[in-house]
Amino acid sequence: MAEVSDFLEKYVPDLGVWDEMLCEKKQIRSSYANVINYLVKEAEDLNKKEELAKRLFMSQGITFTVYDSGEGIEKIFPFDMIPRIITATEWDFIERGIKQRLKALNLFLKDVYHNRFILDDGVIPREMIYSCPHYIREMYQLPVPKDIYVHIAGIDLIRDHDGTFYVLEDNLRTPSGVSYMLENREITKRLFPDLLPQCRVRSVTEYPEILYKNLVALSPRQISNPTVILLSPGIYNSAYFEHTTLARLMGVELVEGRDLVMDNHKVYMKTTKGLQQVDVIYRRVDDEYLDPLVFNPGSVLGVAGIMSAYRQGNVAIVNAVGNGVADDKAIYSYVPEMIRYYLNEEPLLKNVPTYKLENADEREYVFKNIDTMVVKKTNGSGGYGMLMGQSATQQEIEEYKLEILKDPRQFIAQPTINLSAAPCYFNGKLNPRRIDLRPFALCGPDGITIVPGGLTRVALKEGSLVVNSSQGGGSKDTWVLAE
Amino acid sequence: MLSRVAANLYWLSRYMERSDGVLRMLKINYASSQDALTEFSWASVINIYSNISEDRLKQIEYKGRQVLDYMLFQKDNPCSILSLISMARENARSVQDHITNDLWQCLNEYYLLMRDPALIRSLKKDDPISVLDLLIKQIMLYYGTAEVTMARGESRSFMSIGKYLERSIQSADLLHVKFGSLDHNPDLLTNASYWKHLLQSLGGYELYLKTFRQGFEVENILDQVVLNVDFPRSVIYSINNISKHFEKLKSDHYINDNRELSFMIGRLQSRIKYSSVSSISAEGLGFLSSVKNELYQIGNAFHKNYFSHA
Repeated sequence: MAEVSDFLEKYVPDLGVWDEMLCEKKQIRSSYANVINYLVKEAEDLNKKEELAKRLFMSQGITFTVYDSGEGIEKIFPFDMIPRIITATEWDFIERGIKQRLKALNLFLKDVYHNRFILDDGVIPREMIYSCPHYIREMYQLPVPKDIYVHIAGIDLIRDHDGTFYVLEDNLRTPSGVSYMLENREITKRLFPDLLPQCRVRSVTEYPEILYKNLVALSPRQISNPTVILLSPGIYNSAYFEHTTLARLMGVELVEGRDLVMDNHKVYMKTTKGLQQVDVIYRRVDDEYLDPLVFNPGSVLGVAGIMSAYRQGNVAIVNAVGNGVADDKAIYSYVPEMIRYYLNEEPLLKNVPTYKLENADEREYVFKNIDTMVVKKTNGSGGYGMLMGQSATQQEIEEYKLEILKDPRQFIAQPTINLSAAPCYFNGKLNPRRIDLRPFALCGPDGITIVPGGLTRVALKEGSLVVNSSQGGGSKDTWVLAE
Repeated sequence: MLSRVAANLYWLSRYMERSDGVLRMLKINYASSQDALTEFSWASVINIYSNISEDRLKQIEYKGRQVLDYMLFQKDNPCSILSLISMARENARSVQDHITNDLWQCLNEYYLLMRDPALIRSLKKDDPISVLDLLIKQIMLYYGTAEVTMARGESRSFMSIGKYLERSIQSADLLHVKFGSLDHNPDLLTNASYWKHLLQSLGGYELYLKTFRQGFEVENILDQVVLNVDFPRSVIYSINNISKHFEKLKSDHYINDNRELSFMIGRLQSRIKYSSVSSISAEGLGFLSSVKNELYQIGNAFHKNYFSHA
């Protein structure tokens, strides 16, 4: 039988990086002990298990299509089979932190689209809001059902060198990845039979039921069986697999814009029996494409007139329109202030220090220290258009600076945070790779629920800090242990 | 059910049924090309199932493996198995929440198989019948999975209507082509292998032998392929099934009644039911063309009434 030391031979944690598996004395943390023992026993079969995982993803069609010279090629999102483990204590803290944050963000959205107390009181400067491209004027004074704006949030968390959790981004618009949380768990059950109950891992399977219950509760019509639909941009969207999975697991109709029509400010879907009124729309289409009459006039993904139905209260839209003003990367820096302002509490989860580049002093400071900074666009996502000061060339930096000076409001900078590392499997051995964590929080009329788990994204390239799937990132199953 | 979903299920099923027809046809023709003493022409097969250009047809007409490659793996042939399975899978992908996960996986795996370079290599140098058998088995797996896992509800009824409409069109088409060739070449009338191939392509050869013991007679073939209510590829069997699933959709209140469509299906059903071998023979090719025509009209009526609520 292989030895633990053999198995971990290549496992050399980077200095100054929090390691999820090893503590400072290079000992295996108790949360990982069971799994590592199991893996050592199965060491010879691990390559086979990795093959099995790939085959399962492929044959179940958990894939996205890449179009290369007219030829569609099926790709799977890379999956690392070693689970990421979160202890009960850590989870308790994360859960409380996210709930607090979401409560404040929801109050902020209601406030900013209605009374604007927070602006009047000078906590957030007005220009910050009005210069944000995701601030939707059409939402002003528009009441949303039960005052909930953020029904589904995917808040990204990272850990610094001492293990402290930081919020990196609040994804409050159409966060994706939850199907991978569910599928990764299903695959893990097949790869490591009996290991999950042995380690006392909490289940994540309830997610679709909770989401469905929350959606039904939003129906504007008080009827026993309201029509809930999932609005998808269609099969060419890279998250299409997620849309079908969620529709299937909730038993709701998966709809595209062309299946919907408007009549007298009500939304209908075209069915084999004629038109059927729609009550709740869980949309996975961005604000910008939702209604060609109000937003991008060239969009065919949405429905012309849907905003007027929303304004009349004839249909609920989830997440609410206009949430982008709260997860803008510049507004992000005010979230701790929001928590103090609305809740009169100290924030539990920390923010990464953020420099707003429109502010001349901060800009100067960032330019001086750019090699320790990450510069991002305030409305960017997917890891595109950012500058990692650490690894960029002098020329890249100079070009990026010019870009910033053109419109400084569109940029922020943050000190490079050393993401924590977790073990990943590479051909018989474990190696450390950097990870983040995206738990999925659901806000309904009965409060906020966070299923114990989430999506752990991993930067598969050695030393890389970018976990985005579009840039060579993969994912792991995320285990939250019961007490 | 969404109109788009119903249309996708219906077409998904038609693509699969057509793949089945194409594959069986290819298999029988390849086998008989191995018996042929003179050069074996694939022209009639290719013409039934694709709209190939004259030039291309001339290039490959007598080259069995190239024909198989064209009919199985060529993307630019919209009727190749690769094209049909890709479209079926794409439809399945967009209605994943209306078919069972087993059925989706079955179609997805079929698609992955069609893209497998090993299979394409195998067609080039190994026994083509093995390749065709493998692909036919995959379709059997699809039928079995659909039969065992799909609920007897709206989704399956639309799929069944697609399946039987496609099947009846194919059977009628095949008869039309085979009988049409008689005009140019009356000798075929007494050519046993000509009729044997027709029956084999429809999977009805064994049944024929058991039913009719005195060799191949045109009347008997018409009797089996048009009128036999127990032969699963006869025209009447398919039309009875279209009618059955249409009535079920209505009686379960999944769709509203449409008198025009009920009338069209009922009329065609009665027309065939109350035909006899001799009346069909008397009408000749005209009978087959008009049956085909009515089947097309039924298909159009489904589109108009249920698949395109605009």
